[in-house]
Amino acid sequence: MNKYKIIESSFRILRRNKLNTFFMILGIVIGIAALSLTFSLGKSAEKQITQKVKKLFSDNNILITSGRVELGSGRSSESSYANLKIDDIEAIMNEIPGITLYDVFQTTPERDVIAGNKNISTAINGGTAEGEIVMRRSVTSGEYFTKAEEKSSARVALIGTKIAKKLFEESDPAGAQIRIGQVPFIVKGVLEDRGIDPHGTDLDMNVIVPITTLINRLMNVNYIAGAKVEVEDASKTEEIAGKITSLLRERHSLNNNETNDFSLVTPVIVKEIIAKMNRVFTLFLPMISGIALLVGGVVIVVIMLMSVSRRVNEIGLRKALGARSKDIMFQFLAEASVISLFGGIIGLTLGLTGAWMFMSSKGLIFFIPWETIFIGVLFPVIIGIMAGILPARKAAKMDPIEALS
Amino acid sequence: MIQLKNISKIYGKDGGQHVKALDNANITIEKGEFVAVIGASGSGKSTMMNILGMLDRPTSGEYFLESKEISTLTDDELAKIRNKKIGFVFQKFHLLPRTTAIENVELPLIYSDRKEIRKLAVDALAKVGLSNRGKHLTNELSGGQQQRVAIARALVNEPEVILGDEPTGNLDSKSGLEVVGVFQELNRSGKTIILITHSNEVAQHANRVIRIHDGKITEDYKVEKPLDAKAELAELKKTIN
Repeated sequence: MNKYKIIESSFRILRRNKLNTFFMILGIVIGIAALSLTFSLGKSAEKQITQKVKKLFSDNNILITSGRVELGSGRSSESSYANLKIDDIEAIMNEIPGITLYDVFQTTPERDVIAGNKNISTAINGGTAEGEIVMRRSVTSGEYFTKAEEKSSARVALIGTKIAKKLFEESDPAGAQIRIGQVPFIVKGVLEDRGIDPHGTDLDMNVIVPITTLINRLMNVNYIAGAKVEVEDASKTEEIAGKITSLLRERHSLNNNETNDFSLVTPVIVKEIIAKMNRVFTLFLPMISGIALLVGGVVIVVIMLMSVSRRVNEIGLRKALGARSKDIMFQFLAEASVISLFGGIIGLTLGLTGAWMFMSSKGLIFFIPWETIFIGVLFPVIIGIMAGILPARKAAKMDPIEALS
Repeated sequence: MIQLKNISKIYGKDGGQHVKALDNANITIEKGEFVAVIGASGSGKSTMMNILGMLDRPTSGEYFLESKEISTLTDDELAKIRNKKIGFVFQKFHLLPRTTAIENVELPLIYSDRKEIRKLAVDALAKVGLSNRGKHLTNELSGGQQQRVAIARALVNEPEVILGDEPTGNLDSKSGLEVVGVFQELNRSGKTIILITHSNEVAQHANRVIRIHDGKITEDYKVEKPLDAKAELAELKKTIN
C-alpha cells in the first residue's frame, strides 16, 4: 500500500466535498479555539498571580495572624482575634534565633483623612519601621518613619499615591500636616505604587502610621491583627515556624487539647494556595472548553458515518481492486486526522489571537505556553483518530460484492 | 491458468429457501483465451463473475489459479491476488466521482508496491487512446470514454486476466463496439479475457462461449470465426456517412 498516495487522496476527497469538510473542520476549530484560549489565559493568570505573590511573600517569610484562620474560609468566628500582642512578636524576636526583621499590622475601619479643605475616607494601617524592608515597599518622596518614632508613638504618616493626589494634587506632601479623624499627623513620605492586591484592595489608597501610634492614639486597643517576620536562612523557615508556634502556645497558656488561637502562613502553605488557584485556571477552565472539542469529535463521527454510507461504491471498488480492510481503515482515519489537524491549527491560531487581544486590552502580559503545541496538534489528531475509528471500521467491514452491485 | 472444479454456490439462510446459484460448475480456461460467459439474468452468471474474480467464495468446490488452490486463502491474501492478477471492468464503470481520469487509473497501484505510479497510469491511458483526457474529471467524459478509463484501470497493474462484467451493458452500440475492440486488441497482445454478458452478439467476438442456465453449464464451444469489432466499426461509420 502506498500510504503517501492515500493521504494525498484524502486531501483531494475532502477538498471535493466542501460542505462536509467545512462542518467537520468547524467543530474542531471551535473546540480547539476555546481550549487554547482558556488554557493560554489560565497560564497567563497563573504566571501573574505567582509573580505577584512572590513579590508579597518570599521563601523566608512567616505570617502570624491572631485568631484561627482557615485557609480559603477566613477567620473562624468563635476564635478570639484580640489575643496577639506586640509583646508576643517582641518575644519571638528575642527568644528565637535566626529571625532578622519583623513588621506588625493592624487596621482601622475607614477614617476621614483631611488636608486643608480636602478629605478622603480610607482605612489606616499600622506597621513597624522595618515594614519598609519586610513589606518590600519604600517611599518615593520624603522618608520612612524611624524606629524612634515607632517607639514614641509619633504622629507621622505615610500615604499612598492616590491619597497624595487627592489631598495635595501636584505638590509634594512630604512635611505637610494632615488630620486623621481629629488627630493631627505630619506626612513623612509617599509610598511606592503597588496597584490592586489579589483581594481587590487598592494599595495606593493606603495610609501607614507606626503601629504604636495606631493602637494607642487611633484605636485605643492593645492587640494587633498580625505580623510578618523574615528569617535569615530560607531553608530554616518551616523549622522556625514550628518554634514560633510552641512559643506562642506557651505564652497564651494553651493546653494540649486546645487549638491555636493564632495562625501561621508559611511559604509551603502559600504554595498550596497558589497551586489550588492555578488548578482552577489551568485545569477546570480548559476542561469545560474540552467539552466543545468533544462535540467537535461527535460532529466528525456523524458526518463521516454518513459519508461512509454515501461512498459504499467507492469502498467496494477499492476492495475489488486490492485494498485490504486495514487499507480502507487507514484511508478513513487519514481523512479524519487531516480534518482534525487542519481544524486544530486554525483553532489554535484563533484561540491564541483571542487570548492575545484579551490580554493586551487588559494591559496584561501575553505569552504562548509550550503546552499549546499539544493542544493544537496532538489533541486534534487523537480526537480525529478516535472519531474516525467507528466510521472507518464500518467502511472496512463492507462486503465488496454488495458494495458494487 | 484458471480451473474451477465442481464449484457450487448456494444462497439462503439456514432453514430458509435455498437458491443454487451455481451447481457443480467445471471450467478450465487457458492463458491467452478470450472467453464469453453468457446467460440470461438470474442464470448464475453474476455469481460466476464474483467467484472468478475472487470477490466471493464458493460454497463447495475448488478454484485453482495457476495451479494454486485459492479458496482457502484469507481475505487479505485474496485482495493481494485480485490486485496483482485480475483487472476488473464493470457494467456501471465504477469510477470515483469528482476525480480525474488519471487518478482513477492509479487506484490499483496505490494498493500494490509498484513505484512510478503516475507514469504507469499515463501509459495505461495511452493504451486505450485517452492520453489527452488524463486531467479530465470522470463525469466530464462520455460513457464510452469512461469505460475506456475503467479498462485502463484494469490494465495498469499488468494483470494476467481481465474480467469484464457486462462492460457494454450501459453503452450505445458504437461505444460498445469500441470497448469490445479494446478487449480484442488486449487479447491479441496476450491477455486472458473473460467477458460476462447476456448478449449473444457480444459473445460472438470471443474465441470461446460458455453458456450458463439455472446455475449449470449447458454449452461450452469454440467460436470458429469470431466477429472483428474494428471491422464492424468501420462498416458502421460507412453506413452513417
